[in-house]
Amino acid sequence: MKKLRFILSLVLTVTMGAMAARAAAAPADASHSIPAAKPDVRPVARPAAEDQEPVADAKVAEMKEKEAEHGKLNIKETIFEHLGDAYGWEVPLNHHKRIPLPIIVKVKDGGWHCFMSSRIENGRIYDDNGVLFRVATDNLYDENNRKVLDDEGKAVENPCKGKLVQIVGAHQMPDGTWEGGHEVKLAVDISITKNVCALFIACLIVILLCLRLAAWHKKNPFKAPRKMRGAMESLIVFIYDGVVKPTLKEKAPRFAPYLLTVFLFIFFMNLLGLIVVFPGGANVTGNIAVTLVLAICTFFMTNVFATKVYWKEILWPDVPIWLKFPLPIMQVIEIFGIFTKPAALTVRLFANMMGGHMIVLILMLIIFIFAEKMGAAVAGGSAVISILFSVFMLMIDVLVSFIQAYVFTMLSTIFIGLAQARHEEHHKEEPAKA
Amino acid sequence: MDLFKIDFGLTFWMLVAFLITLFILWKFAWPAILKGVDKRADLIDKGVEYAQDAKKQLDNAQEESKKYIAEARHQQAEIIADANRMKTQIIEQARDEAKVAARKEMDNAKLSIEQSRKEAEQNLRDQVSQVALDIAGRVTRGQLKDPVAQKKLVNQYLDEIETKN
Repeated sequence: MKKLRFILSLVLTVTMGAMAARAAAAPADASHSIPAAKPDVRPVARPAAEDQEPVADAKVAEMKEKEAEHGKLNIKETIFEHLGDAYGWEVPLNHHKRIPLPIIVKVKDGGWHCFMSSRIENGRIYDDNGVLFRVATDNLYDENNRKVLDDEGKAVENPCKGKLVQIVGAHQMPDGTWEGGHEVKLAVDISITKNVCALFIACLIVILLCLRLAAWHKKNPFKAPRKMRGAMESLIVFIYDGVVKPTLKEKAPRFAPYLLTVFLFIFFMNLLGLIVVFPGGANVTGNIAVTLVLAICTFFMTNVFATKVYWKEILWPDVPIWLKFPLPIMQVIEIFGIFTKPAALTVRLFANMMGGHMIVLILMLIIFIFAEKMGAAVAGGSAVISILFSVFMLMIDVLVSFIQAYVFTMLSTIFIGLAQARHEEHHKEEPAKA
Repeated sequence: MDLFKIDFGLTFWMLVAFLITLFILWKFAWPAILKGVDKRADLIDKGVEYAQDAKKQLDNAQEESKKYIAEARHQQAEIIADANRMKTQIIEQARDEAKVAARKEMDNAKLSIEQSRKEAEQNLRDQVSQVALDIAGRVTRGQLKDPVAQKKLVNQYLDEIETKN
């Protein structure tokens, strides 16, 4: 059985390598043919050249430009596109179609709008009852649709880049396209983006697995579950008996639900992020907003249920008087410490997960960099190495997924445990005196 | 950097999703699971304790039984030794008794032999005296003036007796 598995994985790796080499060869050929094609396209991208002609929509021009440069590699953009959020969910082997997801936005001085992300695919403008929406351009454009340049002559990046914006002041052409207008930031954008959708999927998985386990426990007390439930239980017991109980002791049942939820939530989101296609692939825990919310929850759990001793330690710690009065040095440090703890939690999880994703992405991009610079043969060779390395990296990421979920939970437990401090020394001394 | 921008929509949905998950699990999953896990752990602890106790008891019982067996063996040996001793004793006694009885028998036999001999002697004496008396009578009845004749007569009678017997 083990041998079979090994052979299968080997075959898979080699096939993937061959496929990647072929894929890498295609852009390499394209890049060779591009120099001829480019001059044809450029004038469209720079409509300002033919002054009096009605200017094309900036986004459309940008998309066309991108299309023309399809073969060319923009490493930074590719990486950030994959790490970031998106309206709609990519499908494998197709750059134009995405799984549509609902967009929920509120415009400035207007109402709520809700539509599917397929409407704004590929830079199209969507007219929702007279209100126009579009994904913002990558660079800033002035009213004449010229790129805004900074002092060094570089295009200025749009602060709303990649986000949905409202288009105000555009007029429709006879052929149905829109002309002119400028971008206006949305008041509220709570669209179900790729990350949000992944988040929901992870929540659903965690809830389902836990409820199933709970149902099993209600049905068969005193029996150890098997299979998936058993796996879930071993995870839960690992955290509950290994981390929560030893740290919080008799307070464990009170905080265990929160800590276990956090652990499973992070763990499943991390693992889902490692799957390349649909239910996974979103870099959720590698997004600072997600980790921030988790850290804020821990912050609240720590401080809301904190004991008097904890606050006394912060506001009037046991140090020489000159450290706390008249200049409240210690108090400032301690209060600063309250906020650095969640900040550390936020950044640790976010940076670890994002880093893992980034390394895999870069390993994959190496194939395309070689293809562009050195040709298909070298790319084919590097593909095998890249894939082997990224398989190795993904395996490490599986480990990191677990470790980071564990570390987040452990540190949360410790912070909560610290805030549950009581006069333990005092209690210990009393019997000795008596 | 794009990556450090905190997106409002994602933060909002994250908060909502996480709080809903937390609520649902807190309400419906964790009590059952944690209770189940704790109860089972207790059960296992108790089971182990019970098993250890049982093993200790079993060990004790075994030791005791060994002791009993040793004691029983000892007793058995003692009993067998006693029995052996008793056996020899009984045999000896029986032998002694038999000896005594045999001697008695023999004595009796001797006595009866003596008696019968004495009786026989008496008989003989009686007969002899009778014979003697007879002879004497006959002698007297004959003319027994002559001592030779007397002697000849006596011998004659004596021969007669001898041939008779």
